Amino acid sequence: MRKISVLALLAVFVVTGFAAGAMAEDVIKVGYLAALTGDWAAYGQTELNAAKLAVAEINAKGGVLGKQIQLFPYDFRTRPEDAVNAFRRMAENDKVVAVVGANGSGINIATAPLANRYGIPQIGTVSTNLLVTVNDQGELNPFMFRTCFTDPYQGQLIAAFTAKELKKNTAAVLYDVGSDYAQGLREFFMKYYEEYGGKVVADQGFRAGTDVDFRAQLTTIRDSKAEVLVLPNMGKEMALIMKQARELGMNDIIFVGGDGYGEFMWEIAGDAMENSYWINHVAPEDPAMADFFANYKKTYNDECKEFVNGILAYDSIYWLADAIERAGKVDSTAIRDALRNTKNLQLHHALMSIDPETHNPMDKTGVVLVAKDGRAQFYAKIQP
Amino acid sequence: METLLQQVINGLSLGSVYALIAVGYSLVYSILLFSNFAHGGFLVIGGYICYYTLAAVGNNIWVASLLALLGAGVSAVVVERVAYKPIRERTNVTLYLLIASMGMSIVIENIFVVTVGGRFRALPPVIPTNPVNVFGVATTSAFDILSLVMAIVFLSGLQLFLSKTKWGLAIRAASYDLRTAGLMGVNVNKLISIVFFVAGLLAAVGGIFLSVRYTLYPQLGLITIKAFVAAVIGGLGSLPGAVVGSLILGLAEMLTAGFISSQMRDIVVFGLLVLTLLWRPTGLFGKHVAEKI
Repeated sequence: MRKISVLALLAVFVVTGFAAGAMAEDVIKVGYLAALTGDWAAYGQTELNAAKLAVAEINAKGGVLGKQIQLFPYDFRTRPEDAVNAFRRMAENDKVVAVVGANGSGINIATAPLANRYGIPQIGTVSTNLLVTVNDQGELNPFMFRTCFTDPYQGQLIAAFTAKELKKNTAAVLYDVGSDYAQGLREFFMKYYEEYGGKVVADQGFRAGTDVDFRAQLTTIRDSKAEVLVLPNMGKEMALIMKQARELGMNDIIFVGGDGYGEFMWEIAGDAMENSYWINHVAPEDPAMADFFANYKKTYNDECKEFVNGILAYDSIYWLADAIERAGKVDSTAIRDALRNTKNLQLHHALMSIDPETHNPMDKTGVVLVAKDGRAQFYAKIQP
Repeated sequence: METLLQQVINGLSLGSVYALIAVGYSLVYSILLFSNFAHGGFLVIGGYICYYTLAAVGNNIWVASLLALLGAGVSAVVVERVAYKPIRERTNVTLYLLIASMGMSIVIENIFVVTVGGRFRALPPVIPTNPVNVFGVATTSAFDILSLVMAIVFLSGLQLFLSKTKWGLAIRAASYDLRTAGLMGVNVNKLISIVFFVAGLLAAVGGIFLSVRYTLYPQLGLITIKAFVAAVIGGLGSLPGAVVGSLILGLAEMLTAGFISSQMRDIVVFGLLVLTLLWRPTGLFGKHVAEKI
């Protein structure tokens, strides 16, 4: 009797054990790498909130392949070494099938070798540097992806907008010679602008951090009769440039910039900001994103201020869910292949196609913001 | 030709702001024979006083400027009393004063970083910056003309103070020989305080113009490096030299950036400094051949 009961007990354990195992198979484990503390905490918290929102919405509609998505968030404290440790734990302890995040190129460059070794696909949200998906020898990181477009592509979008939308054929560039980001944008802007029939009539440089007076460069630009001034930079110098240009009587020149737009620029440049255009990943007023912002506010009782991070994190989850659906099974390599073969997927903020050679989004739509009435407003969506 | 004229106007307006700062360097140098690197700090103090007064009294630039000028002048005197006086009473090696001034410049910068934060602040548009056409050939902003006029007013005021008043006479005497001036009955401590007050006041004028134009932040004082170079080119210790050196530097910067290459600007500025020191180690108007650091 006793023996039998022990066996029965054992059997129960085994059965429940299996059941638990089977239950575990019913969820899709996804890691999320977010900066919840440290310098990028504001971005990271928004990202995680937005990602949770996407997961909740997908699960409410029945999940993916009949399974619920379970998110495993990890804080990497804005430090690459913490990100590497977090990735290890996600892979070894939590056995996630994919990882979303982080919101910085440096972090994703650090985790890329791990993603490749464990064979777990990772999607960066706003990691724009080329080296996220391709290593410095030019070889593809087979498990790395990104939702945002890259820096060179942004330069191409600026060129397309200037030549095709604004229909202006002479442009000047004033860029920060000390910044990789600005140099990359400038190089690709110039390349594509000439291709689209435009002419760069002035190419001027400055040093961010030390230069504060740009009137010499601006005078040259004015004499070049450029119709558009392209500012492929980050930071307050752009605000000073716009202000000084208007002071020199350059009232007709149109300013076009990249995703370096910041709210603080209004304080410095004032009215000179008006009617300037900024190419960005997403826009807060994009009609397609209205539901997201409303839900975000309802769920967290807070505005989604870091909207670029919020939207890209939200759509990264939707992209991953779509890839799992297409893969047909919860398997990291199959999901990787599905991510890689993404074609014309309609996400909330853009149409997504992936270049299998580089894992970068192809011909992704960018958003043009126009500075009007003291704030940045949605102007148009563009493609090269 | 139009471009040349435009760049010359740009250069003069930049040079005039350098001049206000460079004169402060030269003034202190002429008396104590050391370069007061905390000078940039006085400029920042003036800028912040102006910023917060504008916020408090509702955009009255006259009240704000007056307080900024007085505040920066008084802080210059305080810095001299706290950091330099104990040193100059113990030794006549000016190198220690120089090191103390570097220390003070770091202290002042960090006081602002800690208390008000490092972010950029824009002064409200209290000074008009609308474009003005100059004789139909060039365009400049009303602000540039104003800064040029202000620089002339304050520099002429300084000249009058030095040439027409008793204390001005004492300062001129002290610039030849401080010790002898003291022996002749001049109150040396009071004289040095006055010199620092005037230097701080002029720095604040420069600070207000710089912060209106380039925004205000704790590291704004670093811009005085260019003004210091100007003072050295003109000859440290010589006031006309500081003004001429500043105008030369402003013009050189603008013309290089406009006609050669904007990336070459700083190379030319510092190249000019090296050439001047090779050709005339005392600067264009320098008097002393003594150590120049």
